[in-house]
Amino acid sequence: MTPLFSLALRSAWNRRGTLSLVAASIALATLLLLSFERMRADVRESFSQAVSGTDLIVGARTGPVQLMLYAVFRVGGATNNIRMSSVQTLSEHRAVAWVVPISLGDSHRGFPVLGTTPGYFQHFLYADRQPLALAQGQPFRGDLDGLYETVLGAEVAQRLGYRLGQRITLSHGSGAAPGMEHGDKPFTVTGILARTGTPVDRTVHVSLQAIQAIHLDWVGGAPVRGLAIPAERARQFDLEPTEVTAALVGLKNRAAVFAVQRHVATFSDEPLLAVLPGVALDELWEVVGVGERALLGMSAMVGFVSLAGLVAVVLAGLNERRRELAVLRAVGAGPRHVLLLLASEGALVTLLGVALGSLLTLVFIAAAGSWMQTRFGITLQLSAPSGTQWLVLASVLLAGLLASLVPALRAYRLSLADGLSPRI
Amino acid sequence: MPNFLRPLAAALVWALLASAVAQTQPATKPSGPYRNTGWEDLTPKDWDPTKEFRDMKGAPLSDNDPRANAMLKRMREAWDAAPANPAMEGAAIRIPGYLVPLEDTKAGMKEFLLVPYFGACIHSPPPPANQIIHVLPKTPAAGLRSMDAVWVSGTMKLVRSDTSMGTSGYRMEAVLVEPYTAPAR
Repeated sequence: MTPLFSLALRSAWNRRGTLSLVAASIALATLLLLSFERMRADVRESFSQAVSGTDLIVGARTGPVQLMLYAVFRVGGATNNIRMSSVQTLSEHRAVAWVVPISLGDSHRGFPVLGTTPGYFQHFLYADRQPLALAQGQPFRGDLDGLYETVLGAEVAQRLGYRLGQRITLSHGSGAAPGMEHGDKPFTVTGILARTGTPVDRTVHVSLQAIQAIHLDWVGGAPVRGLAIPAERARQFDLEPTEVTAALVGLKNRAAVFAVQRHVATFSDEPLLAVLPGVALDELWEVVGVGERALLGMSAMVGFVSLAGLVAVVLAGLNERRRELAVLRAVGAGPRHVLLLLASEGALVTLLGVALGSLLTLVFIAAAGSWMQTRFGITLQLSAPSGTQWLVLASVLLAGLLASLVPALRAYRLSLADGLSPRI
Repeated sequence: MPNFLRPLAAALVWALLASAVAQTQPATKPSGPYRNTGWEDLTPKDWDPTKEFRDMKGAPLSDNDPRANAMLKRMREAWDAAPANPAMEGAAIRIPGYLVPLEDTKAGMKEFLLVPYFGACIHSPPPPANQIIHVLPKTPAAGLRSMDAVWVSGTMKLVRSDTSMGTSGYRMEAVLVEPYTAPAR
């Protein structure tokens, strides 16, 4: 068997030009299939890691998925704010253990700013009930003395090179256009959170009162000329927020979640929406799943096309090699050996392509990983192939083997005389 | 019939009888020590939610009457406070239902609620407290999503939360969570 294999190897090497092109196209198909599978799995994982221990997310009426995306992932926008009094009433419900109000809408150099209470650092959990931990410093105090204090997510601090004690300014809205800065009220960094691998890493946290303070001299969506209120004077105003964007709710008994959800949905003072994070996330996957299946289908198609290329190249080569194969037959190789020779050649090319593709995938993930982390907050894992990835690799290999049987069987049928007396 | 065939015929008849008997055995055979249970068993037999509202009967109320709304609210509260069946404490049961995820982790679902009907959380008032089971699987259940139908086997516990209404409910330490299959007939 071994001499036959080395013969296949050398024969393939002799036609390395065309075969390496085929191997490259198989490598690209493998790259596509593998990195798609890796991204799909990692995106799902980072999304499901993002929130834990929160039973309900309460906000203005919109879609459950939209509320979830905005409140947890800072994607999209809110349709409306909710009254702080409603949040207060909700926190007095007998089944509710804690409520953390959040206020969104401002940003710092492209990173979202989240206004909240110090309770956020106690109650917000991610990934299997892990609490937020501070890598340096402490949370903002949440009183008037700590009005202009801010806690940064790990990614914000790292990307912008911020240290404790640094002074930063926030901008209105989510862009970084000049003139829309809350430049007169700078914030001091008092804490930097440890990395979580969730949207928290990309968030700048301030107190609800701070959000109120930086908008004191804004009327009707713009700063009013001549009404500049200096940072120190702002403390003399009533800074208790009257409305917030959403609230995270934790329950005493998780089985009461439907009753509380109903209570929120039928809230008589204003229309509200409460969603279960897990259910909203599954709803999102249902939508995303359609696109995922289409992409998977396309990737499989690319794999199929590359293998068709393999068949075509080996079949075309067969004509050139009629004499070679005939000589082999003449020196005693049976049709069986010819079949094996061609099949192992195809398998070799496929194996090379798959190996190259796996290598490319690693390079790709290593290169794109940090960009994905900053841009989308999604961590791509540079790890050993998962079960599904092994399945992808195995099926490409198997398909390659089956494909190379096509020219092999054709060569098997060619008679001995066919190659020795070619009609030219 | 030749003599030597007699025992053979007898054996054949026995075999047929035995298979017939096997087929008439109860269809819902218990799987392991866990007894197949229906949702109606979770409500105490003597509990009557309408008792409190008997006196309201016959009162002519229109749709938007505030008294009607108040009554609806009271009924809702009565349902929310629906008592659990004390007989279920410590019972090892196997029950089918729909799953509402609470904690989904890398390894799988670590906590979920089991409810008796699909869409229990959205379209109609939620099921009463005694028709919701808070399930904590021993090993995280992988590959499940919201509103998947599952069979859950485990030991029931009554949970009495110390709220003013005294709402109680069920918690189950599940040893097995498996996709739903129709019971064998």
